[in-house]
Amino acid sequence: MEIRSFADYLRGLDDAALISIFTYRPDLVTPVPPDIASLAARASSAPSLARAIDALNQWQLHVLEVCVILDEPFSEKEVAALTDKSALFVIPGLIERGLLYADKDGLRSPTTLKDVLGNEIAGLGPASMAKLKLKKLDEVPAASKKVLDAMVWGPPRGTIGDIKKPGAGVQWLLDEGFLIPFNQQTVVLPREVAIYLRGNKVHRAIATSQPSVEGVKRDSRNVQLASIANISTFLRWTEEILNFWAQEPASALRSGGLGVRDLKEISLHLGVDESCAAFIAEVSYLAGLLTIDPDDRILPTHQFDIWLMQSPSARWLTLVSAWYASSRLSGLVGRESSKNVAPLGPELDRSSAASTRRLTLSLLNENSEIAPDIDSLFSSALWLAPLKRSGGLQKDYISFTVREAEWLGITGQGVISRYGADFLAGGDCESINGDLPKPVDHILIQSDNTAIAPGPLEHEVAQELALIADVESRGGATVFRFSESSIRRGLDHGRTGEEISKFLAKTSKTPMPQPLEYLIADVAKKHGKLRVGNTASFIRCEDSTLITQILGDKRLDVLGLRKIAPEVLICGHDAAEAMNILRSCGYLPAGEDSRGLLLSGPRIQRAQTKARPPRVIGEYDRLDEGQIESALRALRTGEKSSRKQSTMRNIATEALGSLPRTTANETLDLLSDYLQNQPSKSLSIGYADNNGLVSHRIIDPLKLSAGSLIARDHATGEVQTFRIARITGVAAL
Amino acid sequence: MTDGPLIVQSDKTLLLDVDHALSTECRRAIAPFAELERSPEHIHTYRLTNLGLWNARAAGHDAELVIDTLIKYSRYAVPHSLLVDIAETMSRYGRLRLEADPVHGLILVTTDTGVLEEVIRAKKIAPLLGVRIDKETIAVHPSQRGQIKQSLLRLGWPAEDFAGYVDGQAHEIELKQDGWKIRQYQEHAAEGFFHGGSGVVVLPCGAGKTIVGAAAMAQVKATTLILVTNTIAARQWRDELLKRTTLTEDEIGEYSGAKKEIRPVTIATYQVMTKKKNGVYAHLDLFDTHDWGLIIYDEVHLLPAPIFRFTADIQSRRRLGLTATLVREDGMEGEVFSLIGPKRFDVPWKEIEAQGYIAPAECIEVRVNLTEAERLSYATAEPEERYRYCATTRTKRNVVEELVAHHAGDQVLVIGQYIDQLDDLSETLGVPLIKGDTPQKERERLFAAFRTGEITCLVVSKVANFSVDLPEATIAIQVSGAFGSRQEEAQRLGRILRPKADGRTAKFYSVVSRDTIDQDFAQNRQRFLAEQGYSYRIIDADDVFQGKF
Repeated sequence: MEIRSFADYLRGLDDAALISIFTYRPDLVTPVPPDIASLAARASSAPSLARAIDALNQWQLHVLEVCVILDEPFSEKEVAALTDKSALFVIPGLIERGLLYADKDGLRSPTTLKDVLGNEIAGLGPASMAKLKLKKLDEVPAASKKVLDAMVWGPPRGTIGDIKKPGAGVQWLLDEGFLIPFNQQTVVLPREVAIYLRGNKVHRAIATSQPSVEGVKRDSRNVQLASIANISTFLRWTEEILNFWAQEPASALRSGGLGVRDLKEISLHLGVDESCAAFIAEVSYLAGLLTIDPDDRILPTHQFDIWLMQSPSARWLTLVSAWYASSRLSGLVGRESSKNVAPLGPELDRSSAASTRRLTLSLLNENSEIAPDIDSLFSSALWLAPLKRSGGLQKDYISFTVREAEWLGITGQGVISRYGADFLAGGDCESINGDLPKPVDHILIQSDNTAIAPGPLEHEVAQELALIADVESRGGATVFRFSESSIRRGLDHGRTGEEISKFLAKTSKTPMPQPLEYLIADVAKKHGKLRVGNTASFIRCEDSTLITQILGDKRLDVLGLRKIAPEVLICGHDAAEAMNILRSCGYLPAGEDSRGLLLSGPRIQRAQTKARPPRVIGEYDRLDEGQIESALRALRTGEKSSRKQSTMRNIATEALGSLPRTTANETLDLLSDYLQNQPSKSLSIGYADNNGLVSHRIIDPLKLSAGSLIARDHATGEVQTFRIARITGVAAL
Repeated sequence: MTDGPLIVQSDKTLLLDVDHALSTECRRAIAPFAELERSPEHIHTYRLTNLGLWNARAAGHDAELVIDTLIKYSRYAVPHSLLVDIAETMSRYGRLRLEADPVHGLILVTTDTGVLEEVIRAKKIAPLLGVRIDKETIAVHPSQRGQIKQSLLRLGWPAEDFAGYVDGQAHEIELKQDGWKIRQYQEHAAEGFFHGGSGVVVLPCGAGKTIVGAAAMAQVKATTLILVTNTIAARQWRDELLKRTTLTEDEIGEYSGAKKEIRPVTIATYQVMTKKKNGVYAHLDLFDTHDWGLIIYDEVHLLPAPIFRFTADIQSRRRLGLTATLVREDGMEGEVFSLIGPKRFDVPWKEIEAQGYIAPAECIEVRVNLTEAERLSYATAEPEERYRYCATTRTKRNVVEELVAHHAGDQVLVIGQYIDQLDDLSETLGVPLIKGDTPQKERERLFAAFRTGEITCLVVSKVANFSVDLPEATIAIQVSGAFGSRQEEAQRLGRILRPKADGRTAKFYSVVSRDTIDQDFAQNRQRFLAEQGYSYRIIDADDVFQGKF
């Protein structure tokens, strides 16, 4: 079959070739196109081509650019001549991607490819129409040479004063056809000239292979140790940040995200810098462990509780996977150029974030022996992905990834760890569970009122301790300090002094120092000595027998009295009521105000609010003539218009048929009249629905209330509410 | 994961498990760069501070050694960021050096021009500098040697001082070891100081700091100015020097309120040095008028601010600071570092106790219950009077009486803050009292009588807090103190820490009123000693009366 187009070419491909195209370019079959013609259309559409080109490395891209520059059809040899012999190995790959195709004459590319690659590919201008004597370029005059030198590597356009009066150098070039006038002020260097001057090449430097990643070699054992330390630290940080917010939720900014002050607070709490604190918060957010609730509070979710129950490896995987796939870049927080970018806020999304992160990690993974330096990592990444859309590859993003990978423990001392490699390979990372330090279940209490957990504490013990002691130092171990206030906190949470002592004695490997026992006993003794509560009124009497008598009086049970001191009772009713009841039972109480002053006799009372006199209805002021006249005028006009309305209405009624028409006021009058005088009479009403369509209903009115009529509708037999304003008219049946 | 004795925390504290087999070895290894913060019974806490790391650099340890040590002994993996931070901090020391130059006098030299550019632009530094000699060198006004060291430290670029010291007027001093021998740690301390040039030696009370001073003098062999806290201490220094060195009475002068002698070895009090006459410090000239080869600061944690200022001007003289604790309640540790010098020697109290050089001590807090009436008047007392009230309650008197009676055979000191309380106690107990207005002669007579055992009990005010050598005192009863001062508590305990001939345990009683701020202050006061490993036992006053303690 003769190949006349890209579609024809695709039709001619066998299954294997098509499968290879689809493997490289999955977008071609999502969704599956109906036929080969539409497949060809999609494959040569700009977005799809752009995607395919994005996946090329520097060398492939250079070859492709050269292919596009050549006139079609072209041969592999031509391509190799302009690049390097090894291009011959690249071309099949481009064909497999469907970026080039072969017909009987040679190679071609899909037509849109040129547009996708841009106008001036590799800084080359358009081809010249004329036949050029390129040999002459070897003996170019000095002035002209300067012009050529400036233009040879692109951009191929040059600006001159006036095309009609160019300088000598330009004039010579124009004469020879080595420059083409473009418009009044612009000249263009033709493609052939540039390629000739570039030494029959297209690109200045050809990087046929990936630049190697340089870095410092590290001892692999130390890498594992550092990585596991990072992992355990990151898990601890996450837990701490969320526990911190569980107690004192931060509030989100109005523009979304975490405010600077809250960020400072957590960074201080964790003892890390702000960018690290922002990152921890961001990862927890991505993993769904915290959320911003409708009241704009930043709070841990139930997911957090579930997360806490999981094994360390599962916990770590949750965090790392969320980070790996995310398009958000917490590294942008707090930079000079992006002051308003807040963690957890809406402005952290960057489209190239995830792909850059993937690329960086894969490079780290490939160079698993060394801690790469950022520059070589960047140049290597740049070769692998030369044409990243949306701003290209950013060095910053790579350094963010490297930094964050270290925090997370994917790397240790900058080198990818076993766990990181396992994660990238999709493993379950279970070796973490065995390598993390074993949790300890005991503490060492010392006589300076500190307790030390010589390792990560078991969760329950840690929680209980956090209740009764303040954390003084964190890390592999935890130092707790007992103080009056920390013990009190435990007591406030319902522990008793004895329980605290028992817990500590059980948990501590060392005997409990005596001063701590005393401290706990002292605080427990004092705790709750003062009691505070609410009550409506009190009854006090210096005669405690009378108090006892009142308490025993069955008639006073209604008051719900409780004795809080030998001479004081409290009562749930307010003072006036209590006094009335006491009086009715024959006691002689006297009132007392909040300052203890006796309120004697019937009190002369004053309102506490400002005076608001009611509206006055009474005689009206006499009106002057002008007012009366204008009133009359208004009345007449009103009458006229209302008669007109009424006439119109009658005409309308006739036209509409039997639907009654009354104004809202008339309706109300009629309805209340019927309700009062003929309560059981059925009425006919017109009632407008939501869309303004009027329907005719037969009803039994039941009640008028709050602008509505409640009535039984005959059609449905149900009691229904009709809004007066919607009733277009009412008439007796 | 190794199973080392050390846990490195992310907040730069190091926890050392003392019960671990390697703990002694590890302690030795980390001591040069980490500062011992607390040493209670099981886990000691060290802290990595910038000053500590710079101290280590000054002593010739490099970052690699520090990092290796941490990794070697650490039980868990050491946070990488911490190691980076250590290396970074340590590299800051010594990038700038002060050197003597034959042409320009004093110069600031750098190995890192960036740093020099940074510091010469600092507002505080610029006025101290002279001409720029070349890219890496700039002249410093010789008079500003101390000032520039202080300012550079504040900027975080501590300068290493290689400008050397003036020898001072030579004076032959030797240790006279007849019938006694300098202890090993004292020798180490003196050597550590001498090789470092200037610096601070930290030793517990009663561990023989005077001898370290004497040994240092014997190394320097030059005229020496010794600054002490008060006259009693001055006399004790003199006696000690006469006993321990070849110095004779004619060679030692006292410069105090009473006498103004300037001799090859002159002992001056802080008080006289900081005395103002017509608004100027009249006696500060003492530093200058004589060509001192060594200046010793006793109790450097109490060094008053004017002395600091003057010390800044005498940076070319060797300086030795002696103290039991570098804790300054005013937080001027940085000044001590830059002006006196880095810490040259430090050892935990308990270790010296274990070697038998200071007496083991038992600390007991006796809680007395206020009577109902006392409780009531305490509750209604003005806030500023409260401490005084609860610290001086009469109930305490009975307890003190009982304690003194119980320890009838021992040498007992009763120490307090409030004079009327002490007067009262002295009267009740029928023992002499030493307070601020006790004449010098009388004081000395009483102390001498106490030392010989003629008197077995003394009531003393805070004048006896420092540097009073009462080797035979075995019991101290503290009835009141300067609120919550931690170092006062330590000093007072120090009074009874001289090793006893029969190896007896010293007892330190602190009588405290229950449920008052006296108790709160006591808790604060005890913190330093608890951190040094002295655990307090709390007993009730009733136990005292029943003899159950």
